[in-house]
Amino acid sequence: MANGTDIPLKEKLKALIVEELRITHVAPQEITDDEPIFADKLGLDSIDAVEVVYLVEKYFDVKIKDMKEARPALQSINTLAAFIEAHCLRN
Amino acid sequence: MLKIEFPHKQSSHCESGVVSNLLSFHGIATSEALAFGIGTGLFFAYLPFIKLNKLPLTTYRCEAGGILKRVAKRLDCKINWQKFRDPHKAMAALDEKLAMGIPVGCRTGAYWLPYFPPAFRFHFNAHNLVVYGKDGQDYLISDPVFPNPERCAAKGLMKARFSQGALAPKGVMFYFEQVSPEIDWAAAITSGIKEVCRRMLKTPLPMAGTRGIHFLADRLEQWPKKLGPERSKLYVGQLIRMQEEIGTGGAGFRFMYAAFLQEAAAVLSNTVLLELSRKMTAAGDIWRETAVIGARICKGRASAKDTYAEMANHLRTCAREEDRIYEQLLECI
Repeated sequence: MANGTDIPLKEKLKALIVEELRITHVAPQEITDDEPIFADKLGLDSIDAVEVVYLVEKYFDVKIKDMKEARPALQSINTLAAFIEAHCLRN
Repeated sequence: MLKIEFPHKQSSHCESGVVSNLLSFHGIATSEALAFGIGTGLFFAYLPFIKLNKLPLTTYRCEAGGILKRVAKRLDCKINWQKFRDPHKAMAALDEKLAMGIPVGCRTGAYWLPYFPPAFRFHFNAHNLVVYGKDGQDYLISDPVFPNPERCAAKGLMKARFSQGALAPKGVMFYFEQVSPEIDWAAAITSGIKEVCRRMLKTPLPMAGTRGIHFLADRLEQWPKKLGPERSKLYVGQLIRMQEEIGTGGAGFRFMYAAFLQEAAAVLSNTVLLELSRKMTAAGDIWRETAVIGARICKGRASAKDTYAEMANHLRTCAREEDRIYEQLLECI
């Protein structure tokens, strides 16, 4: 399950996005770490970004407060994981 | 190449970011949150009679240009503001000011700015940026929603400055002509807070302020019945995009105002403002939860709890919480 504690962060994020955003045409393992999250492949847009931001807060207790933080953080799995790790360390 | 040394800093929202950066250029270090609060940036209105992309307009901030004008007034700075009919004259006026070493703020249609990545392009005609130089046919741009300075070809900038549609920018440009050597920060902050409270609690229009949030909640609850399922989803989608994407929106603006209240608490030595800052952050969280329910409805992944009625209830909670915050703000300053 996506919120298991022994799964590496990037894999956890991929599983969460696929599961919670009900993506049926792409499996978590098919998402590469550096590809854009909001592009044709996953079919996600700015409305889905709202839910991704919410999921990050719900599962990792990290708040993305605004688009200044969201734009760079939501580029790819790599950038999202880096944002979460940086804020977990800070907290 | 003409390049003015301009302190580019990324911000959450274009107008408060531009104001903050322009003031910093003139030696007045002002955070984005402080500019937003002093400029009475926070607001709410649901204006179904104004359509953007054929869908009703909801605004979570004040009118375009309002932050700039109020910050200038409250910090006793003089601002020059020009509007044009002729695109070529507008570009010539911009060049003239740049040649004088003056960085110039411009209002643009974001969709036409070529450096916007396609995924983030949207039709919004009140996007502010600062032009701080020119290299050949390229303008040097400090666009506060981008991490680094950008370049924009003259043709693209002209098109963006004269973008058509709702809130058409009409070549608007602005710059500080004079800044005050002595600033009464406490007075500016107090005045900004009082005005935001007045606007949110006492605007006579039923569709503005906290009453406007209730008004939207009542309307939203009726959308499925009145508009049908598909059009209702479009309305909700617009509401969310304006909340979270265009200019950082509802929750983002509430978080920014919370940051302003923190700064205000330090300047005014008023610890009550810290508590109200926490409450404003909590209100922002409810706005965001509202948007999440809406996103699930739009994208067809709503659970039994994710309904229009639940969204409306969240909105009413936002309105009640914000009512209390503004009333307490008025009591404590």
